[in-house]
Amino acid sequence: MADALSAAWRPLRLPMRCATRKEPAIVEMLLSPFVAVVRGVNRVGESIAVHAGEMGILAWRVVSALFRGKMPYREFLTQAYSMGIQSLPLVCVTAILSGVVTTQQGGYQFTSSIPLYVLGSVVTAGVVLELGPVLTAIVMIGRVGARITAEIGTMQVSEQIDALYSLGRDPIVVLGAPRIIAGLVTMPALVAIANVVGIFAGVVAAELDVGLGRESFLYGARLFWHSYDLFYSIAKAVAFGFVIPLISVHMGLRTRGGAEGVGRATTASVVFMIIAILVSDAMFPPLFLD
Amino acid sequence: MIEYRDIHKTFDAPVLSGVSLTVPAGETLAIVGPSGTGKSVLLKTTIGLIVPDQGDVLLDGESVVSASREKLQEIRRRVGYVFQNAALFDSMNVYENVAYGIQDQIAKELGRQEVLKRVVQALEDVNLDPPAVMPKLPAELSGGMRKRVGLARAIVGRPEILLYDEPVTGLDPINAAAVDRLIKYIGDKTQVTSIVVTHDIEGALLLADRVGLLEGGKLRFIGTPQAFRSSTDPLVRAFADREAAAAAAAVM
Repeated sequence: MADALSAAWRPLRLPMRCATRKEPAIVEMLLSPFVAVVRGVNRVGESIAVHAGEMGILAWRVVSALFRGKMPYREFLTQAYSMGIQSLPLVCVTAILSGVVTTQQGGYQFTSSIPLYVLGSVVTAGVVLELGPVLTAIVMIGRVGARITAEIGTMQVSEQIDALYSLGRDPIVVLGAPRIIAGLVTMPALVAIANVVGIFAGVVAAELDVGLGRESFLYGARLFWHSYDLFYSIAKAVAFGFVIPLISVHMGLRTRGGAEGVGRATTASVVFMIIAILVSDAMFPPLFLD
Repeated sequence: MIEYRDIHKTFDAPVLSGVSLTVPAGETLAIVGPSGTGKSVLLKTTIGLIVPDQGDVLLDGESVVSASREKLQEIRRRVGYVFQNAALFDSMNVYENVAYGIQDQIAKELGRQEVLKRVVQALEDVNLDPPAVMPKLPAELSGGMRKRVGLARAIVGRPEILLYDEPVTGLDPINAAAVDRLIKYIGDKTQVTSIVVTHDIEGALLLADRVGLLEGGKLRFIGTPQAFRSSTDPLVRAFADREAAAAAAAVM
């Protein structure tokens, strides 16, 4: 009887044993895309947390160096000249083009029922609130941010950063602080200039291309103007002027692995800076315009 | 005095696996060994450029591993470090590079003329012509000259300890011998404590009071140059004698 029962169960047992053996594999196979996604999110989250933490420490040490009077002012002036004066031509070209294009496109849209003088308001608000700060930041990422990462990264891989440490100098104080403070100081000035140049280019383009006189353009601009917009624009400039050199210095100091490493760090730095600028730009309206 | 206590360091694989070593004040110690055995890593732990996973480094009784950032900077100011590739600052000329070896506070106290005098002296000590090289940028110098400028930068601050990472690698035999003589001269003249990491075994045996052989992350031999020459250890013999090295290479 027992044998018969055993024989009867055998075919059932075998598939069951197989099922229990295969079950984890099937479950694993079904869940593997989710597990991969969770692992990926975890890895990215961890990486963001590490970068954010390191940049927080970097920012703190820069502020601390500034208040302890340890910042090398000669280097600060060199960086301010490089970031400010030398960036001016490119910033102005970008501002002129943004003012002209906004005016031309606005003029094309407002030709039917909307009074054309509204164009003055649209161009002014567009340049001051968005195009001036963001396009200047993009120019600074390409011209200044990438250079800083490549420069500090090269110093890292050629042991110059170690040499600074060995000579009792702190690279964050010697290299980081002058660049970050120079960014904070020059960016608002550049954005203010970009705003003025962009609006002026809009006025000229409106007169020449759209047929809107200077008086009408400025009337429209004044009609919806808020002084707060200027504060908003400069506040963005201060934020971007801090974020760009902070990320570029941080990525430069993290560089490893020779010339290839410098290339990788510079590319990653530019990507991080663009994302950081666009994300912080998106955070401004809900924080400051509501 | 420099004291290494049971230093362990792992990167992708273990590099140092329990190195303990004491270098008395005024001694010149040469560390030799096959490539990739952690000689430079050991040197970098001395001033906290690399932090060991386990163990400690004591400089005159002060822990490097547990030192605060300020304390570490203070320790580093007492040490001169000659880097393998000189590590000169690209944006500075030779004068500025060497003068950077003098601490800002001391440079301020000394004044420009005295700083210039010290820089000129340091460049002359390393057999360079100060008026000719001082205005040049590092990119305009040959490899040997860059090395010597790096050495001048390390000694201009008159440190108590000098650490040399491959000081003669890449130099021609005449310049290599000159740098070896200079290391010995500085050691004898200033009674500075020196550690020289090198592949130049002949130079090491000439200039060092003791020679250490690092192998597989451990200190395999430590002793006087005479003891090194007469050692029966096959690896030591391979290092001391080129013929023995050739024979060892043939077997490997």
